[in-house]
Amino acid sequence: MKIFRRLLGFLSPYRGGVISSLLLAAATMGVGVLVPFLVGRTIDDIRHGGDSLWPLAGALLAAGVLRLAFSVVRRLVAGRVSLGVEFDLRNLMYRHLQSLELEFFDTQQTGQLMSRSTVDLQSVRFFLGYGLIFMMQSLLTIVIAAGVMIAVNPELAAVALAPMPLVIWVAARYGRLNRPASQEVQQRIAELTADAEENVGGVRVVKAFAQEQRQMRRFDQSVRRVFDQSMVSTRLRAFYNPFIGFLPQLGLAAIIIFGGRQVIAGSISTGDFVAFYGYVLMLTGPMRMLGVSLGMAQRAVASGARVFEILDRAPRLTAPEGAPPLPPGGGRVQMKAVNFGYDAAGAQPERRSGEHRTEDSREPVLRGIDLDVPAGRTVAVVGATGSGKTTLVMLIPRLYDATAGTVSIDGEDVRDVDLGSLRREIALVSDDAFLFSAPLRDNIAYARPDADAEEIEDAARRAGLAELIEDLPDGYDTLVGERGLTLSGGQRQRVAIARALLVSPRILILDDATSSVDATTENRIKQALGEVMEGRTTFVIAHRMSTIALADEVIVLEDGRIAARGTHDELVEESGLYREIAERGLPDPALLARADEGREVAGL
Amino acid sequence: MRLTGPNWSALRGERGRTKKLGKLLALLRPYRGRVIVMFVALILATGAALAPAYLAGRAIDAGIHDKDPGALTWIMLAFLGAALVNFGATYLQTYLTSWVGQRALQDLRKRIFAHLQSLSIGFYERNKAGVLISRLTNDVQALDQLVSDGIVTLFSSTLTLVFTAAILVAMDPGLALVTFLVFPILAIGSIAFRIASADAYRLTREKIAVVTSYLQETLSGVRIVRAFGQEPRHERQFAELNDENRVANMRTVNLNAAYFPSVELLSAVATAAILVYGGNQVVDGAVTIGVLASFVFYLQSFFDPIQQLSQLYTTYQAGMAALDKIFDLLDERPELSDADDAIDLPRVRGEISFERVDFGYGTGELVLHDVNLHVPPGQTVALVGSTGAGKSTLAKLVARFYDPTAGRITIDGHDLRDVTEHSLRSQLGTVPQEGFLFSGTIRENIGFGRPDGAPEEIEDAARAVGAHEFITRLPDGYDTEVGERGGHLSAGQRQLVAFARAAAADPRVLILDEATSNVDVATEARIEHGLRRLLAGRTAIVIAHRLSTIRDAGRIVVLEHGRVVEQGTHEELLDAGGTYARLYRDWAEQTAA
Repeated sequence: MKIFRRLLGFLSPYRGGVISSLLLAAATMGVGVLVPFLVGRTIDDIRHGGDSLWPLAGALLAAGVLRLAFSVVRRLVAGRVSLGVEFDLRNLMYRHLQSLELEFFDTQQTGQLMSRSTVDLQSVRFFLGYGLIFMMQSLLTIVIAAGVMIAVNPELAAVALAPMPLVIWVAARYGRLNRPASQEVQQRIAELTADAEENVGGVRVVKAFAQEQRQMRRFDQSVRRVFDQSMVSTRLRAFYNPFIGFLPQLGLAAIIIFGGRQVIAGSISTGDFVAFYGYVLMLTGPMRMLGVSLGMAQRAVASGARVFEILDRAPRLTAPEGAPPLPPGGGRVQMKAVNFGYDAAGAQPERRSGEHRTEDSREPVLRGIDLDVPAGRTVAVVGATGSGKTTLVMLIPRLYDATAGTVSIDGEDVRDVDLGSLRREIALVSDDAFLFSAPLRDNIAYARPDADAEEIEDAARRAGLAELIEDLPDGYDTLVGERGLTLSGGQRQRVAIARALLVSPRILILDDATSSVDATTENRIKQALGEVMEGRTTFVIAHRMSTIALADEVIVLEDGRIAARGTHDELVEESGLYREIAERGLPDPALLARADEGREVAGL
Repeated sequence: MRLTGPNWSALRGERGRTKKLGKLLALLRPYRGRVIVMFVALILATGAALAPAYLAGRAIDAGIHDKDPGALTWIMLAFLGAALVNFGATYLQTYLTSWVGQRALQDLRKRIFAHLQSLSIGFYERNKAGVLISRLTNDVQALDQLVSDGIVTLFSSTLTLVFTAAILVAMDPGLALVTFLVFPILAIGSIAFRIASADAYRLTREKIAVVTSYLQETLSGVRIVRAFGQEPRHERQFAELNDENRVANMRTVNLNAAYFPSVELLSAVATAAILVYGGNQVVDGAVTIGVLASFVFYLQSFFDPIQQLSQLYTTYQAGMAALDKIFDLLDERPELSDADDAIDLPRVRGEISFERVDFGYGTGELVLHDVNLHVPPGQTVALVGSTGAGKSTLAKLVARFYDPTAGRITIDGHDLRDVTEHSLRSQLGTVPQEGFLFSGTIRENIGFGRPDGAPEEIEDAARAVGAHEFITRLPDGYDTEVGERGGHLSAGQRQLVAFARAAAADPRVLILDEATSNVDVATEARIEHGLRRLLAGRTAIVIAHRLSTIRDAGRIVVLEHGRVVEQGTHEELLDAGGTYARLYRDWAEQTAA
């Protein structure tokens, strides 16, 4: 009930619209009830010689026209209310999601969030936009029509209306039973889709091992499962739909036998008989609708609970009210006694460590990090997978908050400054460069939408993209990303580098940023990167010695602690771990070039 | 796998609406018995649904007017009987329609899937995976609408209209004519409304799809959004798209607000007309009061079938578009198929020869030029060269994913084109780059090429490549679910399972695309070890990225722009001081810092 009340709260900006559409609905139904009444009067008039035939027909027409007018206005008003609620809800949800910190997204599956912001949102808005009005309208119709019937003849009304509550109950019950059944159909179709996706994706493996028959058998099973469940849902529909249609027929049959006898006995007129018959016909629709909207209400409450779960989740990573912007400076980064552990069973940002996670995933990822990087210095961070490299650099733009200790930039604690101003001063290039479905130009200019064509092309050139772009049919206007051209991993990384180059940030973070770029291209980009690093504080996470060599200083991480730091030469002398890495070569096997990873069909 | 048999040959043919509908109906042919019962039930249900209005009129004339309570009882019983028949017949009809429709679509899905399996790799490279999948899902569902709802609506609404018209004319031709006057107005109005709203609804679907995919994208890219602090911009853009969606929906609201109330008005107008004209007839004694009442009752539902029929337009269009796309796919011929006189390749020793092989994709430029290569049984050949040099193309030709444009490729002296695809591939093992796994358990994945293999064989294979150790450490061991595309395993683990899969198939010839993902030192060592074990004693073509693999290879083949520029061992090639030596120097420089 609490959720229900909160859901109704979404309607409050439209109070006027809701009230007027309810009034209009009442007016529409009031006039609507007049129709069978006038038909009944006309029948009686005809039996008595048909003297007032024309006036009655005129009244009937007038009722029809009035009903038209009311119902057109009602539909326009109600439609605007429901679309307004939908618009508000969706914006609210989106803005809320954008205000939540990264850690929230680590612990949530994108699919889950999507389903809450689409499916659940939809059932809420269907109910608020349409269901509630249907419900009120149906109730009004039932009350008005039943009231008239009872006023004319309470006994006959009682028998004729007897099956009606059953209609509501059965319709609501059908909704309750059918929903899980048809959801299961959808679920099985989703499984079938996943099956098909996997087969199209793995077609080379299937063909290489000549296993077409086996895959065919598996798919047949999926298809069979969809069929079986469809029939479960069909049996429900086949029974309930005609059953709901059958119940009002009992009321009509009652009118024929009891009403007919009353007319013969003279207690009601033939016109009343016809009018009663008309009322019952008129009531069946709203009765069914009431059942349906009761189902909608139940669903909306359940969905509403899931939507509120997200809306009530307050953003945990915010700047204090009226926080000042990051003061100007050269980009000195300090960390004092920083500890960090991911909350709950959250995924770590190092996505490659996707092994089965152990129970104690709360274990600290960073422990007691003390760091003071003067402005303009380039620092390389090395260490094994899972040693906390990515986590360390994520703390600088405050994508996560340290569990203990402080992170400050140019003397200012990152938690005390405006988030936007902080992040605009820091450019991050990560190894899986995400591109939006937008023209290449917009992807490069992502962080600086105001950049002009010249600046964009310059950034692209320096990131080693110019030739690639020239070869594209639409050049910088080529659509890339999920719904556009598929770029290889190395190409995506170069776009991400161009994106960072364009920003001209105070602090640059390269998280394995050239891992998919081949050696020859990397040599070319390296120069550009060197230029950019000049005069900026830079953090580089890399596997290649050539990239590490760009650094003034190297930090070796082991199990979340700084195991050693110093220049390359010092570390080779002092750190066994570093020496091992340097001698064995970092586990970067890409000798010559990487194949395009972007293909949707499995490699080879 | 081809489309054969009488049903399917009937499905092909040229375009044209009737032809297409014919194709659709042919899908139902195997179930004609049930279709006939379904139609009988449909006719019964429609007839029974029309009885009440007539019986109500009879109740007025025969019962009330003649003051005969007995007649009322009979009429009421007939009324209940009709309602029960309608109930039962509708149940049967709904059930059968769904059964036949779902079964036919199930057949179609299987057929599309089988056809997809028969198409060559080239086809998959030309077509986006998402498009192919939507043939199996979205398009089949659009057809479902047409088959399950469309056909029934078409017949039941038409029958209702025809029956009602017949009953009205039989009761009183004059009154019937007055009723029919509103008919053309409603029909024209409904069709106009449907055409206008079809566009409007399509627009709303497009707009909401844009909103949803924008949401999806900014959720998957949330890291970048946060890192660059671009939330306000996305919020603005989202609000814009959201507003476009609202505007598009507004049009449908306006259209509906105009149409449905108008239909109600039309119904009131028709009722008034009938009452005035019929009322005078009753007064004159030409028509009974019961007949007039029946007319009024019929009018209540007379407009429904017309509205429903007009709705068919949208369903029909969507269904036909889906049908076109599905049959376009089914008409696609496999590019590679076994020659009529293809023989089963006997157990091979693994000697591979390329003789003057040229190859180009489709009619495009040549990707391989005059490749000559002889691989003795048991040798490992490492293919080396930059991206686009033709390494993977060369490997694909060995698996006969494509046929050479010129020249020939033989295995133990058999031209690949002369042997059956199945006998060739079942003797080849392939390890794709990212170790593609299918959802299921590790055991199922290792046994992929040998579904009949014993459990020991699977574990032996895993041991052979050094995967056993990590597998037994997993909570469910060999029964661990690997997730979609192996997502529950790390890249290194996937790679090892893919090795084990190839080892379990125990092929004579192995084609391997080395993974390049960054794994930690320990995993790397395990992979190197597993790889060595896998290659031992087999003929292998390796698209090599690891220095260790390249050094160990019996022969290194250097490709450049589709030509073999150098062949030999690591030492030989370094001494020669050519392309390989240069590539090696580049790499060494990069590693050594």
